[in-house]
Amino acid sequence: MAHVVISNLVKVYPEKNGPGVRVVHGIDLEIRDGEFMALVGPSGCGKSTTLRMIAGLEEVSEGTISLDGQVLNDVLPKDRDIAMVFQNYALYPHMTVYENIAFGLKLRKFPKPEIDTRVREAAVLLGLTDYLDRLPKALSGGQRQRVAVGRAIVRKPKVFLFDEPLSNLDAKMRVSMRTEISKLHARLGATMIYVTHDQVEAMTMGDRICVMKDGGIQQVATPLELYNRPQNLFVAGFIGSPPMNFFAGVLLRVGSEIWFSEKNEKSPPVKLKLPGSISKKIAARLGQPVFFGIRPENIHDVPATTDADVGSMAEVSVEISEPMGAETLLYLTTGATSFIARVRPTDRFEANQRINVTFDLAQAHFFDAASEQVL
Amino acid sequence: MSGIAKGSVGARGHRDWPKHAIVGCLLLVELFPLYMMLQVSFKDNAEFIKNPWLPSNPASWRWENWAFGIRLIGPYIANTVFVAVSGTVFSLCFAISGAYFFARYKMPFSGVLWSAFLVLMLLPSVANIVPLFTLLKELSLLNTLTALIAVGVAGGQVFNIFVLRNFIEELPKDLFEAAEMDGASHFQQILNIVIPMSGPIIGTLAILAFLGKWNEFLLPLIVLRDKELFTLGVGLIYLDGEYVKQWGQIMAAYFIASLPLIVIFLFCMRLFVRGLSAGAIKG
Repeated sequence: MAHVVISNLVKVYPEKNGPGVRVVHGIDLEIRDGEFMALVGPSGCGKSTTLRMIAGLEEVSEGTISLDGQVLNDVLPKDRDIAMVFQNYALYPHMTVYENIAFGLKLRKFPKPEIDTRVREAAVLLGLTDYLDRLPKALSGGQRQRVAVGRAIVRKPKVFLFDEPLSNLDAKMRVSMRTEISKLHARLGATMIYVTHDQVEAMTMGDRICVMKDGGIQQVATPLELYNRPQNLFVAGFIGSPPMNFFAGVLLRVGSEIWFSEKNEKSPPVKLKLPGSISKKIAARLGQPVFFGIRPENIHDVPATTDADVGSMAEVSVEISEPMGAETLLYLTTGATSFIARVRPTDRFEANQRINVTFDLAQAHFFDAASEQVL
Repeated sequence: MSGIAKGSVGARGHRDWPKHAIVGCLLLVELFPLYMMLQVSFKDNAEFIKNPWLPSNPASWRWENWAFGIRLIGPYIANTVFVAVSGTVFSLCFAISGAYFFARYKMPFSGVLWSAFLVLMLLPSVANIVPLFTLLKELSLLNTLTALIAVGVAGGQVFNIFVLRNFIEELPKDLFEAAEMDGASHFQQILNIVIPMSGPIIGTLAILAFLGKWNEFLLPLIVLRDKELFTLGVGLIYLDGEYVKQWGQIMAAYFIASLPLIVIFLFCMRLFVRGLSAGAIKG
């Protein structure tokens, strides 16, 4: 069992002649036994500080962190039964791979045969058997990271913490290590808390994702729920690559229908007729400024001959076209708003070409312009 | 290609000869006293007066000078080794612990404490002699080797901590945190991270501390009374007074006294140079 509960967690760093810098603002989070929780957010959002407070490397200013009901606030890091994998591996350069992995067990005075068994088991699991006698400097980045993981797993802790462990690796190695960590989680079934600023890592690895910004939690949900039902503008824009497109504008009533009209003083604005299901939800916001959000894959280029519904179509300019092989990313502009569409790889476009696009409005999201919360 | 390379190296060597000549001259000046000490140590007084500058015929070398030197200053060397080794070991142990504290922990007023500590470096050691003598007398430590060790340990702390603190601060913080998560106490972090990773700088400080304690003169002179407790610094001046005419014996004793330092320096030179340049280049 490893059930982590974070209640009203606050971190304040002391400041000369001031009340202190508040970097974590009373967060509440529950991480279930065996769950892979990804903490994601931009730099400075407080995710690493939160992780370090769970590890015991930072003092908790207010609130509590508990593991299986035991409050950890005053428990030393070594007594928390938590292991951590650091961003830059933190391997002891003068120790061999074997000694690095065995170090924690040796300090805890495990019998030598037990240490040997555990180290060799971890080495097999992580493919490090041939490197046990090497020093860290003789290993590649990926191998070093596996040693760091090995050092954590031999202790068989209740909770694993990962602090951006893949950020020092190249793109290819990152993908491969991502898979290995996911497999490891499946095999060990341990509770893991993984900090990253890369939303792709969070989406592909996390059972649930906690999106953070400015020291607070924006939303905690499964990857698909975050992608399909973001709670606010920040989450909608942060999750997804390329990110969701946003158009500032207002909601208007035209007859019995509700339309979205883009705020655009340079060229004719994009006007979209909203389907009944969405109209009902946002009818109360008529005349108020909103953000209309739509993902790149829900915008389609329309052949000139197609007789598409004018209520979901707009004429826009191509800024640039990026063929990616499996798809093409079209950077478009309405004159006031730049946005991205993900289209078929066979479609070809020139810069400054005027084209018609349709918006799949069943997939549209609307956010209040002031509070930035979903409507 | 190799011919061109060889030629260019040769040309450079040719151009550099004035520099080599200057370095050679300096070396000759530096090594001259050592040469004199060595060649005189094999002569008796008559031969020394007749031929002071050149070595004598090896067949007439007076090895008994060396036997005399070893017998005479052997106990002094033993005392000095005891004082220098224990002083160096204790001094570095305390310095590493102090430096670890200053490098890793920031508390209220730790900056003030550090500055106050550094002020100690500015105090001339001669100014401490009288209070030190009084203190040692109060502690009944006069005429003991313990006094030399204790004062030696305390005396070298400021410089050692100053150098080590900067070095420890440069070690990656993550390593200490990883060790903390692994269950290492502060002592274990010092033992398993600081000492192995600070090898060159600790080696350099050890050599400097050892040299300082080996060459210590003033303190043993005022603290020690019994001849059996003399260290080399004091022992050698009494040697000069008692056997003023036996130059061969004196020089043999002097040479034996400087031999350990020469050997230590030759073996540790690489470590010493590495330690002096540590931190100069980003690793």
